[in-house]
Amino acid sequence: MKNIGIVLTSALFLAAGGVAAQAPNDAQIAHIVVTANQVDIDAGKLAQQKGSTKDVKDFGKMMVTDHTGVNKQAVALVTKLKVKPEDNPTSQSLKSGGEDNLKNLKTLKGKAFDKAYIDHEVAYHQQVLDAVDKTLLPSAKNEELKALITKVRPAFVAHLEHAKMIQSSMKM
Amino acid sequence: MRAGPHRLAIALACVGAMLLSGGASGAGAAVDAGAGKPAAHRVVIDGLKYEPETLTVKRGDTVVWTNKDPFPHTVTAPGKFDSRDIAADGSWKYVARAAGEYSYICTLHPTMKGMLRVE
Repeated sequence: MKNIGIVLTSALFLAAGGVAAQAPNDAQIAHIVVTANQVDIDAGKLAQQKGSTKDVKDFGKMMVTDHTGVNKQAVALVTKLKVKPEDNPTSQSLKSGGEDNLKNLKTLKGKAFDKAYIDHEVAYHQQVLDAVDKTLLPSAKNEELKALITKVRPAFVAHLEHAKMIQSSMKM
Repeated sequence: MRAGPHRLAIALACVGAMLLSGGASGAGAAVDAGAGKPAAHRVVIDGLKYEPETLTVKRGDTVVWTNKDPFPHTVTAPGKFDSRDIAADGSWKYVARAAGEYSYICTLHPTMKGMLRVE
């Protein structure tokens, strides 16, 4: 778990302006948005299968549904704008962080799985929000791309609050 | 003819005021409010919020919730009414027949809360 926290933190540290001189361009921002959603879709799919409570399974299902919806919009927008999403270090870190998370989650069962998944979801959504606010929104040049990120931001906030609700109910 | 520009200015000022007041005059406003006739009301779901969050209607009025988010939501007052999943860009219509205060939520996103008052 600790490793995953570190990988996740460094991935989003990049996104959150750790490399201030290299603000991402719009093609890279589009790639980061799609990757960030995909990473959470993959974790959600696993939680649907392996979650031990209805809360955790339902949350995983909602992550798949919501982030798939957001990605559909993102892909529609980049297609319309004729932007080709461009791979970049932030996307790569997100992806490898996501893979490490899955690898760890696959070794866990029952309550241990639930806790690790939900803890990660809380940290992940918090850090994606930081990246949105500190890097993606300030760096995005295209108004429609900016509008899309602004529109989906409340979803990340709601997911974070929802994950925290589950987290605190598990402690009781 | 002289009244023309003046009227135009008033009209523009009204439009401006409506825009400034935001959702209050748009979403949720009675669309067809004839005296005594049932009215139709709109609630827009956008950015995981019901807009307006609180809506007061008369018995017999119709309320339509429209989902502008790219993923489903519900309008659920447990034991009273339940839209089930409203897809992206979908909508759900409810005829408010019984007076009362109905607080409702989205069962998928429990952080979302709204209130329907039927007088």
